[in-house]
Amino acid sequence: MKSMIIMKIIGAVLVITSSSAFGFYMSSSLKDRIEDMKELKKNILILRGDIRYGSTPLPEAIGAIACRHEGNFAKFFTHIYEELIKLDGVRFFDIWKIGVEQKLKDTSLNKNDKEHLMKLGENLGYLDKDMQINIIDLYIEQLEAEILEASKVLKEKAHLYNTLGVMAGIFVTIIML
Amino acid sequence: MNKKDELLKIFSLGLRNILTKTNMDYEKLQEIRLRANGPLIVIYDNKEFFVTNHSKLSKNYIDAVMITRNEIKETMEYISNFSLYAFEEEIKQGFITIQGGHRVGIAGKTILDEEKVKSMKHISFINIRLSHQIKGCADKVIPYIQSSDMNDIYHTLIISPPRCGKTTLLRDIIRQLSNGESDIDGFTVGVVDERSEIGACYMGIPQNDLGIRTDILDCCPKAKGMMMLIRSMSPRIIAVDEVGLGEDIEAIEYVINCGCKIIATVHGSSIEDIRNKPILGRLVKEKVFERYIVLNNRKSVGNIEQIFDERGSILYQTVS
Repeated sequence: MKSMIIMKIIGAVLVITSSSAFGFYMSSSLKDRIEDMKELKKNILILRGDIRYGSTPLPEAIGAIACRHEGNFAKFFTHIYEELIKLDGVRFFDIWKIGVEQKLKDTSLNKNDKEHLMKLGENLGYLDKDMQINIIDLYIEQLEAEILEASKVLKEKAHLYNTLGVMAGIFVTIIML
Repeated sequence: MNKKDELLKIFSLGLRNILTKTNMDYEKLQEIRLRANGPLIVIYDNKEFFVTNHSKLSKNYIDAVMITRNEIKETMEYISNFSLYAFEEEIKQGFITIQGGHRVGIAGKTILDEEKVKSMKHISFINIRLSHQIKGCADKVIPYIQSSDMNDIYHTLIISPPRCGKTTLLRDIIRQLSNGESDIDGFTVGVVDERSEIGACYMGIPQNDLGIRTDILDCCPKAKGMMMLIRSMSPRIIAVDEVGLGEDIEAIEYVINCGCKIIATVHGSSIEDIRNKPILGRLVKEKVFERYIVLNNRKSVGNIEQIFDERGSILYQTVS
């Protein structure tokens, strides 16, 4: 009888812990996505600065970002830089596309964010400088809007996810008992 | 990476495969011309050839490989390092200098802003002129531009039609004067390399050997660059390629007034030709330049036709 109670207590603790952890995971992934978008915005701003003030070609500008950056986007920028300098007959957009598809796994960007980033790659490289800056500005605006939206969602849902996680655990435990 | 591989990387994959298999000596290759819906043409050893699908050189137009619009577009992407915007100023002038100092001329549809060329789109014609560094090609002329006591040089103007090797000669003159020899001290040389052709700088480091006492101002307009170098690097000699504009000539006068020596090149076929030019002609008449080196490509590229002094007396002449 005693061992039965102990088993129930262990089970209850496990259920509450795991469901709470899931709740915390859901809220932290919202936070991580915002952090990643801010990081991406910072890098794109550096790229825009290099293009605007230094007319720096993309391999050099992206290489400089890859060197300075050690965060979640390091693999992405390093991959693009290394492929660009090879001049192996692969076009810019193809390199960018593979980068977005395969080298952003460490980030919390969602499918929609990756699609937007992919579209930016379609327009990099061949336009004149003003057009190039406009395209990047447009992307940054879009990114800022996404960050704002995600921050609102975070405010609304982070607490909800945390509480729901704990409450759901308690609810399931009560039913099981 | 050797010179051939470095150059071939600017071509679209299809053209790269064809050109890789040709057995051309890249030292003799002068030009590669691409035209959308036109044949692939090379100027090799002073002769024009079509390149065939089987990577052979042919005189027959029917055998030539035809270039597509997409190949030109892809090639432009590689030439501009995936960044056409970075070459805005160069595109306005109609050419881009690539790594290795090769000059890529482009033509297409120009976009005008009032009367000035703002940009170019639908680029359909590309002409790649290969730059060659030939060490020792200035051996013949160096004794004529050094003063008799060997401690100074004369103000020198190299006169040459296009494709006769004036930049190559200038490059070697700079290298030799900068390095000096065992019994002659080298000079501090300042080079204003407006089109990156002399030093072929890549990220600020010259890819061609311009000597140990040479400072290079890369991609800078000649007139502004000459003034800047005098103030910043105190050169003994200033070297510039292809002078022509009025402001270039004014800057040359400034250089000479500052006590520096000038070595410049100009497009032309003879000293008379230069004398008839409105602004540069005045300097010739005023005997500002003390040596004139006239080039042609009759025997071979870089053939020195004549060397004159400031009065127009012939100091050297090729025996024809």
